[in-house]
Amino acid sequence: MSTDAAAAASAERHGSLLSLEAVVVAFGGLQALGGVDLQVSQGDRLALLGPNGAGKTTLFNVIAGDIKPTSGRVTIKGIDCTELPARFRPRLGVARTYQKTRLFRGLTVEDNLYLAQTGRSGRHLALLRSGVDAEFRDRARAMAETVWLADVVGTTAGDLSHGQQRQLEIGMALVTGPEFVMLDEPASGLSRGERERLVQLLLSLDRDITLLLIEHDMDVALRAAHRVVVMNEGHTVASGTPTEIRVDPLVHAIYLGSEAGLGGADP
Amino acid sequence: MSPTGTASGPARPGWTLRRLLSARNLVVAAATALALLLPLFGSNFFVEFVMTRTMILGIAAATIVFLAAYGGMISLAQYLLAGVAGFMVGNAVVAQDAWSKGLKLGWNPWVAVLFALAVTTAVAFVLGALASRTTGIYFLMITLTYAVIGYYVFGSITPLSGFGGITGIDPPGLFEDHPVRMYLALVVLSVLVYVSFRVLAATPFGLALQGIRDDPVRMASLGFNVSLHRTLAFTLAGFTAGLAGVFNVWWNGQIDPTSISIGPTLDLLIVAVIGGTLSLEGAWLGAFVFVAANNYLRNLPLVDHIGITEARFNTIVGVLVLLIMILSPDGLAGIIERVRKGLHRLFQPPPGPGSTPAEAAAGSP
Ligand SMILES: Nc1ncnc2c1ncn2[C@@H]1O[C@H](COP(=O)(O)OP(=O)(O)O)[C@@H](O)[C@H]1O
Ligand SMILES: [Mg+2]
Repeated sequence: MSTDAAAAASAERHGSLLSLEAVVVAFGGLQALGGVDLQVSQGDRLALLGPNGAGKTTLFNVIAGDIKPTSGRVTIKGIDCTELPARFRPRLGVARTYQKTRLFRGLTVEDNLYLAQTGRSGRHLALLRSGVDAEFRDRARAMAETVWLADVVGTTAGDLSHGQQRQLEIGMALVTGPEFVMLDEPASGLSRGERERLVQLLLSLDRDITLLLIEHDMDVALRAAHRVVVMNEGHTVASGTPTEIRVDPLVHAIYLGSEAGLGGADP
Repeated sequence: MSPTGTASGPARPGWTLRRLLSARNLVVAAATALALLLPLFGSNFFVEFVMTRTMILGIAAATIVFLAAYGGMISLAQYLLAGVAGFMVGNAVVAQDAWSKGLKLGWNPWVAVLFALAVTTAVAFVLGALASRTTGIYFLMITLTYAVIGYYVFGSITPLSGFGGITGIDPPGLFEDHPVRMYLALVVLSVLVYVSFRVLAATPFGLALQGIRDDPVRMASLGFNVSLHRTLAFTLAGFTAGLAGVFNVWWNGQIDPTSISIGPTLDLLIVAVIGGTLSLEGAWLGAFVFVAANNYLRNLPLVDHIGITEARFNTIVGVLVLLIMILSPDGLAGIIERVRKGLHRLFQPPPGPGSTPAEAAAGSP
């Protein structure tokens, strides 16, 4: 391989994975996003901070294709995804979790983790089980173990405790083998010990996986991320390394003016 | 890890003997055996009328339950789809020289069945595709609209429905003048439909359908084509309703637009509600209660005494449905399930000394 090709491959690998240009989302009169620009490269670990109502979840919804932006452009891996329905995102390696859990409440933990994989494969229209299916099953059980649900694989998702549901929510995103994961407040409702486990899990993710994390718990966010973007009232207002953000006066002003202080976890 | 996966973990043992011998399956098997032996001791009227009608309505209602329980869709179009199959059979089999109406194609009855099922399946696919983007009450409203439009379509295209209906529709020789054979065929078909729906629920397709029932947004974000999935499920239910429609028209010997009007459409929904829209077995149970009430209730001396005439039968059924819905949103099947659980608790050994008072209190009714 020539050095040129190697350089091109490297640029491709570290190039822009996600790019948002002037993304606006308006709900009636309310502008949830007022023209957001954001670049995310492969392997980035980016935390999105900001008070409630800042537009963080809305930003996730736009990236995931769950809502279409009023204007602006969303590019993932160089493909314009602005108009592309949500169901094409998994083929680009995108996976997400939801702030308010969205589980298949009538199905078992294992079936939830199994279904999370079949959508991308085209196997979901099949009437027979096959070898691929067995692989999905094995991976589902392995993921249940990863997110500490090994002893409840046969339990119906609706019967899980709140913390277990949050864990399953994360497992469903990770089990797809994503290149780009978006986690919307994964630590909310978890105990201190569970939060620590979560940080360890996030830190153990493959280096090539790109992570976009919304998290109110500063400790979790600043430990898991290399870069932080702060949002307020639909705009990005600051960005930098966790250390820079910790001491940024503007960030302090926004956070002190809202419910949570820097460094403290949200109750 | 096991390469086959089918029997590798405790979570999914496949169709092991233990799972096949569950209480639920044993009850269904016993009911099937009883239904198959019924002609040996049941009266002609009970077998050829009450039970035959029960099986036809049961299969049709099972398609409602299938869509509701696994797909989260309550369809009011199932009776229409059965009617489409019935009209197709009627038009296809009646001979040119018969004293009847319709297209009078005079085809072989089995060819007519294939034709009717093909048309019904195609119609179901188109109707399903149009309705598949909606859920909940909107899906119900759209399918109700289908039922109403279907009635008017058959009512106004008289070459197809022959002014006031097609008469003299004979079943194939296998069933003609052999009502018991027809009944037995319906029992077998009922079992096939029931088993197929339950097996389907465990396939990749069936699991995805239940995922869509629980959270269509999540399913889309996982890469599933939600509307295609709903459409295919609706098509399958339509095909099955078509099977019921074929037997229905053989059994009645005739079909007219009134037979697919809003009345029978709602009757089928009532059958599903009586049995319980979340339990497949409930479809046949509901059908039996409905048909039995229809045939026996009005002959009760008490009913005559307090002046409830045939015209007021609907009131009785209405009150019955209301009672069942108040007592159990899951219909009769739900009531049976609760009684079963209650008995189970009653005969369970009392909690051991190790259990806490709270546990003991929770264990007693
Ligand atoms: N579907 C919606 N319809 C109307 N308003 C919405 C909708 N989703 C979010 N919003 C509004 O947009 C703003 C941003 O919300 P959100 O993105 O959820 O904030 P965050 O996740 O940062 O707390 C809030 O004012 C919220 O009320
Ligand atoms: Mg949010």
